[in-house]
Amino acid sequence: MKGKRGQFGKYIRNNVRPQETENISSCSDLFTNHTLLAFLLPLLTQPSTSPKYFQSWKPISLLIAGMELNAIQDKFERVAKKQKVSSSKSHEWMEQVGREIEQALASIIQWDDNDSSISIDQKITELKAKLQTIDSQSNLDRPQRELNIDFAKYQKLLEKILHPDLSKTYRNADFDPHIINQIITQHFYREGLFDVADCLVKEATETEAISLRVQFQEIHQIIDALKSKRNLGPALDWASANREKLKDSGSDIELKLHKLQFVDILQNRNRAEALKYIKTHLAPFASSHMKEIQKLMGSLLWFGKLDKSPYADMADPIHWENLSEELMKTYCNLSGQPFTDPLSVTVAAGVEGLPTLLKLASVMTGKKQDFQAMKQLPVPIELGKSFQFHSVFVCPVSRDQSSEENPPMLLPCGHVLCKQSINKLSKCNTRNFKCPYCPLDASVAQCKQLHF
Amino acid sequence: MSSTPMEMDAQLPTATATATATPIAAPPPSNLAKLAESLKLEHQFLRVPFEHYKKTIRYNHRTIEKEVSAVISGVPAAASDISREEAVRQLTSLVSRLQGLKRKLEEGSQTEQLQAQRCRTRLEHLESAEVDNLPKWNSIRLKRILVDYMLRMSYYDTAVKLAESSNIQDLVDIDVFLEAKKVIEALEQKEVAPALAWCADNKSRLKKTKSKFEFQLRLQEFIELVRTENSMQAISYARKYLAPWGATHMKELQRVMATLAFRSNTECSTYKVLFEERQWDYLVDQFKQEFYKLYGMTLEPLLHIYLQAGLCALKTPYCYKNACTNEDPLSQEGFRKLAMPLPFSKQHHSKLVCYISKELMDCDNPPLVLPNGYVYSTRALQEMAKQNNGKISCPRTGLVCEYKDVVKAFIS
Repeated sequence: MKGKRGQFGKYIRNNVRPQETENISSCSDLFTNHTLLAFLLPLLTQPSTSPKYFQSWKPISLLIAGMELNAIQDKFERVAKKQKVSSSKSHEWMEQVGREIEQALASIIQWDDNDSSISIDQKITELKAKLQTIDSQSNLDRPQRELNIDFAKYQKLLEKILHPDLSKTYRNADFDPHIINQIITQHFYREGLFDVADCLVKEATETEAISLRVQFQEIHQIIDALKSKRNLGPALDWASANREKLKDSGSDIELKLHKLQFVDILQNRNRAEALKYIKTHLAPFASSHMKEIQKLMGSLLWFGKLDKSPYADMADPIHWENLSEELMKTYCNLSGQPFTDPLSVTVAAGVEGLPTLLKLASVMTGKKQDFQAMKQLPVPIELGKSFQFHSVFVCPVSRDQSSEENPPMLLPCGHVLCKQSINKLSKCNTRNFKCPYCPLDASVAQCKQLHF
Repeated sequence: MSSTPMEMDAQLPTATATATATPIAAPPPSNLAKLAESLKLEHQFLRVPFEHYKKTIRYNHRTIEKEVSAVISGVPAAASDISREEAVRQLTSLVSRLQGLKRKLEEGSQTEQLQAQRCRTRLEHLESAEVDNLPKWNSIRLKRILVDYMLRMSYYDTAVKLAESSNIQDLVDIDVFLEAKKVIEALEQKEVAPALAWCADNKSRLKKTKSKFEFQLRLQEFIELVRTENSMQAISYARKYLAPWGATHMKELQRVMATLAFRSNTECSTYKVLFEERQWDYLVDQFKQEFYKLYGMTLEPLLHIYLQAGLCALKTPYCYKNACTNEDPLSQEGFRKLAMPLPFSKQHHSKLVCYISKELMDCDNPPLVLPNGYVYSTRALQEMAKQNNGKISCPRTGLVCEYKDVVKAFIS
């Protein structure tokens, strides 16, 4: 490989822009870089020899996914091409037949009663014979058969690369359609798709969750006004109406809204109005947020050239985006709703979990175990950080998950085991025992129960 | 970049061979790898438009074959001593028939093109998934899953509205389901004709899968005849349509034939059930299953499959406690109910979440234990101590102590 690596390195240095190797973030990037791929593959399959500029490249699985999508596309284009061939053949056949008939028709029309060289009957027999020859020569079967073969190949390729049957993972959970419809409707309210939600309620004949709809409509109207029309009025009204609750929950969103309004006035109208705004609306916040107000007063000096002032970041339009997100968060917090859409979170968790469950399903059908009667999944599903809502402690000795009956216990050395493991090690609380990790002695009395 | 596709074909096969032969030990999957895995779940997404495309191609081909053959055999027989006017008339009609066929084929070919394009569009959509645009791509995936659910539940208007809201009409199968709509609505009106037509259209495929759906339709029609006490008609119907199925489904045939001896208000349970209205609902369900199988769709709505997987993956005993955070979907009543019969998730490694900051407590942010056994993350306690002169108070029990009183815990 050494010689090749040298050549390869030279090729890369001369021809590839550095960012091409660093910023591969999608399957399509990979597969459009055919030449790059061609050189890289042999190297990447021997990780120990890969030069350091490729260590930013990650799993082979992604490379393969890109290539596989490519393979599917190629196969499809093959099918489309074959179809063109087959279809043009049939069209030709049809045209030939048409032409012959039209020719015969023309000659019959021109036929003269006195023309005794050839009778109409004979013309027709001639036509029939010609058509028979065309028919027998057409051989439409072959392209059609080849097309069918290509159809089957494409399907096989799809089944090979993609999981052909997700239903394998489905236990007969008998989901209640009413609950699901409610969940979906609430999801639509959350996304602001009110007419879709209403349509669903009608078609599924569900009862409407009116209060929820009203709530989400309120916040969507507020945010809409803010985002699309830069109108902070509804937001400010809501914030002042809920001032007490906001204060209790420790939110300073009213101040933030006023600040944004101030900057808006400063940028779009005049200094006098901006100053007036501070006096009327920001005065109540003077005692608690003096520093902020002082900053605002300072920015007045740069009226007209805010983007060249030390306060340039105040004018950044991203604040509108951030504030509308914070508004949504605060609103949900106040009304006891989760901020992240539970349906999206669950489906996203499902996407991460399905590959594992598919493997489990195929293994279990082999063992004929009852997939449907499990109390706990026999394999772990590694979800991302954003799905971790609860602390889970797994005892390093017994690999059991802790529970109320079997809580985690802190040993004097700082290591943590579950209660049952400690019982076993100490022979039912009678002896001192050694921590499995560091050989420090411990007695049961010294262990403290932990609460995560 | 000057590129010459050098030796690519020669290198690729060996490369893939070695790639599969040397599996790389998996570190926690990166976002990219997870994305690649998630694309592999999209079989239905690509298969359905392909089936539809195949169907159109076959239908167009059959049309040409039938029509042109008919035209060829429509040429008047020889030696019929035909007059000139007659010959002209007949040949002209054949010519116009061919012209009609041409027009029909143009339409058919356009449909074919559109469907081929749809297959391509979907492949491009899968390609377009990137780590950067993931939130948007995921939100479109959720919409696709929801449209699939709506279509299967026959909420057609909602499906159309939802697809329009994000312009994803090419990524969903509304037109395929409209074909099913006709059959389903007819069956709900106790009409079997569209269903039988559908069976005739898909005869070869249904035969391949040894489907007995057509048989069940015929049985139901027979029962309806028995219900109206048209015994003679029922028997001749059975002779014509049920007998051919006798070879493979004799037992069932006999059971249904026996209903002739009973009336529709019979109390005998074996036969009473056959007369119930519910049988029509079973027919609708049966049709749906056949339909899904034909098009390569999953037999359960995608939403059910993803929801179930997600609920299992998220389900822990802590989710059902009152202290469960709002952000966990399983804190919501609907989700809790759905997850009741499902198994709990399993963890092989401890994963600890700080009660205060909701951050993970790992080696970067190790857990600290207060004198009362309550545990919080280092970062959260340090922040608290900074703001309170070195004092920390447990948010759950109210205990106040000094930062230096906490003990480090070592979790592997």
